[in-house]
Order: sequence, then structure tokens, then C-alpha cells
Amino acid sequence: MKHLMQKALITIAGTVAIALSSFAVADDKEKASFGPHVPHPTNGSTECVQPEDEMKKNHMKYILHQRDATMHEGIRTKTYSLKECINCHVPENSEVRYGDDKHFCSSCHNYAGVSIDCFQCHTDRPMGKNPHNKSNAQATTPVKAEVADITVGASNE
Amino acid sequence: MSNTKETINISRRSFVEKSATAAAALTIAPGVILNQVHAKPADEAVTSAKRWGILIDTDKCGKGCNDCVTACHEENGIASHGRPLTDQVWIRKVKLRDKLTQNVVSLPMMCQHCENPPCVDVCPTGASFKREDGIVLVDRHICIGCRYCMMACPYKARSFAHEVVDNQRDYQPRGKGTVESCTMCVHRVDEDGTPACVEACSKAEHGAMIFGDMKDPESNISKALVKHGGTQIRADLGLNTGVRYRGI
Repeated sequence: MKHLMQKALITIAGTVAIALSSFAVADDKEKASFGPHVPHPTNGSTECVQPEDEMKKNHMKYILHQRDATMHEGIRTKTYSLKECINCHVPENSEVRYGDDKHFCSSCHNYAGVSIDCFQCHTDRPMGKNPHNKSNAQATTPVKAEVADITVGASNE
Repeated sequence: MSNTKETINISRRSFVEKSATAAAALTIAPGVILNQVHAKPADEAVTSAKRWGILIDTDKCGKGCNDCVTACHEENGIASHGRPLTDQVWIRKVKLRDKLTQNVVSLPMMCQHCENPPCVDVCPTGASFKREDGIVLVDRHICIGCRYCMMACPYKARSFAHEVVDNQRDYQPRGKGTVESCTMCVHRVDEDGTPACVEACSKAEHGAMIFGDMKDPESNISKALVKHGGTQIRADLGLNTGVRYRGI
């Protein structure tokens, strides 16, 4: 009997919660859509290298596999490379950096509370015509050559 | 990682079979030059059929010329923080003066891409490794920044990234807390290119550096090595370096 009462209470509470939340959605429909807002590729492509559902779930499997193949075996196919993800999903000349909600990767990671460290080393924007390219980096001082002066044949002293 | 290891071993085995056939073909038809100048297809793994190397002629190396250093650091996005003691250095110029004869030799010093690299021996995680084609690299995904390899390297070729890195090249990811060194411009080599330092040296019209496949008898580096020979620095260590010098 006790169990039945508990179940009934939970059911009622659940129904009330759902009803309330649907009201809330109805109230500000424009503002809140469930899920993250993921920007679409800006280069006109409509299809990813795998169906969207597959990529949502398993993108790290593809990238991780490619990572080891490239690093250790020199396999440089573009399909599953992180560089190509960035080239397609982050617009050129964009100032958006990883961590910003507008960045393709962050848009979902921020929503889901996922921390990654890919972009501590990898660049988060395409190098193409971006301000974040070689000519910009040139402004920083390259390391100057240090000439080590080594004297050989000390035994002749 | 065990999966990667397996695939590497498989390709090595199949390579041995292939190279045995190739060797047989060569003996059957002597005098036939098999030139493999075409770039490696992007989906093909590197094999030990090649051994990349650089021969540096110290007589031609310009005293006071820094072009190889500048080109390397520009290519790989290495910027100074104004702290020379901890700045990353992938390649540096060294001046050797003989006390008796006063003869001065100038040469660039970088990762020597050893066949038996001490940095790989001491790495506790497997981050420091040698590719099948002889290029010694750091896998920063695995590097924990312990710097044992820096201690082990007799050439002082490796540096540690002490500070946050920004403005990386998309072909050369680099980050704080890992060890790095000359990659022989592996991103260029895989696309049939020449390392930035070698390119800069010939652009400066010194032509002191020759890059190529030391296992291909028809390559420029092999021809030069046959004709003039090349010294290994600290040859006594038996590391069989991929970077050789002339004139020292």
C-alpha cells in the first residue's frame, strides 16, 4: 500500500513538472530551444564526412584514430583530420576562439560541460586567409640564433 | 596504443617481404635505375625503405649566417618570450674554435635523428619515438613533460615549452608542458618537400645542406656521402645519426 502511494505521488509530481516546463517553453519560445545552438559550416557544405548522428556520438573515435595514424605512420588523409574539421566548421577570418559559444566545437562542449585540451596545442581557426596566419605570427619575434662558442682541443693548453 | 603498435608491426612485416622482392628484381636487372621521386600517397604509411637525412658541409656554412635558424622558427611558429634561457630552440648555430690552429668552424646543430635515439630509450610513456623512415618525433598527445629525453640527448636538441603557445601553425601543433624538437619538417617531407632550413640555406646561396633519402643510392645526399663521406658528431656513442657533417 505504501509503495502504491509513493508511486502515485511520483507520477503526479512528474506530470506537474512536465506541464510546468511546457508552459515555460511556450512562454519564451524564441529564446529557449532545447539543446545547443551549433553553427553550420560556412563554406556551403551540407554534409559531414559521416551522418550527423554518427558524428555527434563518435567524432572523437574518428579523430583519435586519425591522430595516431598521422603521428606515427605519416598517413595524412584529410577526411577525419582535426585540421579539416576546423577548416570546414570555423569560418575563415573569424575572430571566434575555442571557449566562445559561437565556436563550432565549444557550442556543444560548453552546453554539455565537456572539457577538452585539443586546442592547447592545435589551432582553433583555419590558417587560410585568417589574420591568425603566418604573416600575423611573423609580428612576434622569432627566436634568434644563439651562437655557442666552443673551444676544442683543450689538451693543447 | 596497442592497436597502433600492431598495425605498425604488420606493415613492417609486409614491407620486409616487399623489399626482398625488390632486391631480387634489382639483382636481375643491374644498371636499371629505379627512381622513386613521386610523393607518397597520403593514405600510405611511411616505411623503412627510406631513411631521411641531412648532410651539412661546414666549409660552405656561412659564419654569422642565421638563415636556417630563422627559417625553422618561422616555419614552425616558434616565437621568443624574451627569456633566452627558457625559449624553445629547435636549431642553433654553433661555432667551434680549435685552440691550437685557431681554425673556426660554424655549423647548425639540431636533432640528429639517430637510428638508436637515447631520447626514445628513456621516455617513460612512449611519447618519444622514431618513425619507420628514421625521423625522431615527440608525440605530444602522450608526452607528460618529464624531460628525461632532454637529459638523455647528447646534442641538447630538445626544448620544453614552458609557456602557453598561441598562433600555432595548423600543420605544427605545439603546446605548454611538452617537449619538442626538430621534426625534419615532417609535414613537408610527407608531401615530398624539403625541410625549411635546407630550403633557406640554398636560398641564401650557401648550399651547405643536402636533404634526402640515405637509402636511395641515386639521391644527392647518398652521392655526396659516397664521394666525400660524412662525420657523425659523437660517433663514439654508436647512435648512427641521420644528420651528418663535412669539414669537422
